[in-house]
Amino acid sequence: MFDFAIAGIQSPVFLLVLTGLTVGIVGGFIGVGGGYMVTPALIVFGFPGYMASGIDVTHIAGKSVVATIRHRQLGNIDWTLGLAMVGGTMMGVEWGVRLLNMTKKAGVSGIALLSATVVIMLSLFIYTQIETRKAHKQIEEREKSGAHLGREHKATRLPEYFQKIPLFPIVRCHVARIVISMWVIVVVGICTGLLAGFFGVGGGFIRVPALVYIIGATTHIAVGTDLLEIVVSGGYGALRQSMSGNVDMMAVLFMISGAMIGAQFGALATSFVRGPAIRYILSYSLILATVGAFMRLGYLMTGGQYEILSFAAVVFTLGEMIFLCLFIMSLVIFAARHKAGKPVPNWIPSLVVKD
Amino acid sequence: MDDYRRRETIKFIVWTVLSLALVFYICYEYYSGEMISWYYYETSTTGYAVDVNTFKDATKDKPMKLEIVQAAEIKGLQAVPVKKGDRLPKNANGVISKKDVEEGKRVALEGNTLKVMVPSQIKEAKGFKYRDTYKHKGVQTNPWSGVWNVAVILALGFCLGTMAEGFTGMLGMKVKKIKHYEGGH
Repeated sequence: MFDFAIAGIQSPVFLLVLTGLTVGIVGGFIGVGGGYMVTPALIVFGFPGYMASGIDVTHIAGKSVVATIRHRQLGNIDWTLGLAMVGGTMMGVEWGVRLLNMTKKAGVSGIALLSATVVIMLSLFIYTQIETRKAHKQIEEREKSGAHLGREHKATRLPEYFQKIPLFPIVRCHVARIVISMWVIVVVGICTGLLAGFFGVGGGFIRVPALVYIIGATTHIAVGTDLLEIVVSGGYGALRQSMSGNVDMMAVLFMISGAMIGAQFGALATSFVRGPAIRYILSYSLILATVGAFMRLGYLMTGGQYEILSFAAVVFTLGEMIFLCLFIMSLVIFAARHKAGKPVPNWIPSLVVKD
Repeated sequence: MDDYRRRETIKFIVWTVLSLALVFYICYEYYSGEMISWYYYETSTTGYAVDVNTFKDATKDKPMKLEIVQAAEIKGLQAVPVKKGDRLPKNANGVISKKDVEEGKRVALEGNTLKVMVPSQIKEAKGFKYRDTYKHKGVQTNPWSGVWNVAVILALGFCLGTMAEGFTGMLGMKVKKIKHYEGGH
């Protein structure tokens, strides 16, 4: 147990490092900060709610720098796209926070917010699942016909519509190989930032699908570029939280020491897989987070009558982190086996790369 | 050892030293009390500055009494009257607001003492329960501590990230750029 003087609690260091490690793996792989997983974990470890949010967002900012450096090395970052989006994201986050305060004043309760979170995450999960399954099937068919398969495959034509919008100025994103109106990038940044600010999350789970399905980036580039965005938005969030005194730097330090190792593994793991594998993990993380949020919603809607729902939500959220980590690790192990010519399950070859 | 590995080894050593220096600096600031004095900086409400740790075991049946004193430092079970915007006395880590005292549910004024009956309450954040104490209540953090926090954490992230990059390079694991557009797309 460690005595956190600022937070005013005693908490086990090992669990903080472990949380950082698991969220680092998941975040480095699917390009999310993991706030929806870390905040409940910190509350379980005894941190007050406001401190949990502050510590979470500050550790996310630091961890995202670590992951961004590795993704830059892997060539997964489109700086033009990322920097063009930053302004819109910041504006969106600020509007989102103001909108949240307005709705709170208007008497919209946490139940309404949590319900909206569930609906949005569920919709994203359904769309991502349908598209990824379709893409997965198409890869399998092409593999059977002997075609040489690339790193990415998408079964959607949605980005083409957005890339055709002829609004000046037009931006050329060299790494992502996209030519698109600056306004589309800014509006996507504003919308995803708005949702992130409104729901009090980093926004990676909204921004990664938006970068893939609206902007048209490959999944790997979406992940890397999103982590760059999180450095900025997380840094801004950390600044706001720190100025309110909601951050205990020692807790952040312990978490980031685990996250540093996790983020390395998560980022490097992307080099073993194809785009649809990342999208699968992203969609599973979305549905698991939705189930956790649904349990909390049930707990709030019953007026806190059924303690078991709150407890189940905590257990589920912690279990989710471990499940996603194991899933990512197994993908890497299977990819390595496949590369070595060893037998792997039938669904693996189309999700991993051999060379 | 080839040139690449030698370069990466130097990179790893340099960034490890910088990372460790930063970690030691954070720990020093934390344990010397410098960071804490930035956090528990000034009051954002009128009430009584207290050291929350001294009365955390108080209950309704066994309340704890804080002596009201005018002092620059809190020693044990003491409470210092403060106005909004005042610099917090040394060892203070929370403020019991005047409103709370007037309500008398958690804390009551008895002559020259404050009787604490409910030092913590169970609250909820995002559907999860947590124990909410007077710690950090009614406290205004020095805004520069926010800038310091962000600068330090981004610098630490950069040092650790570059150190890790050097580490894999030192082991001879040359990370190649992903060929996003090779093959069918």
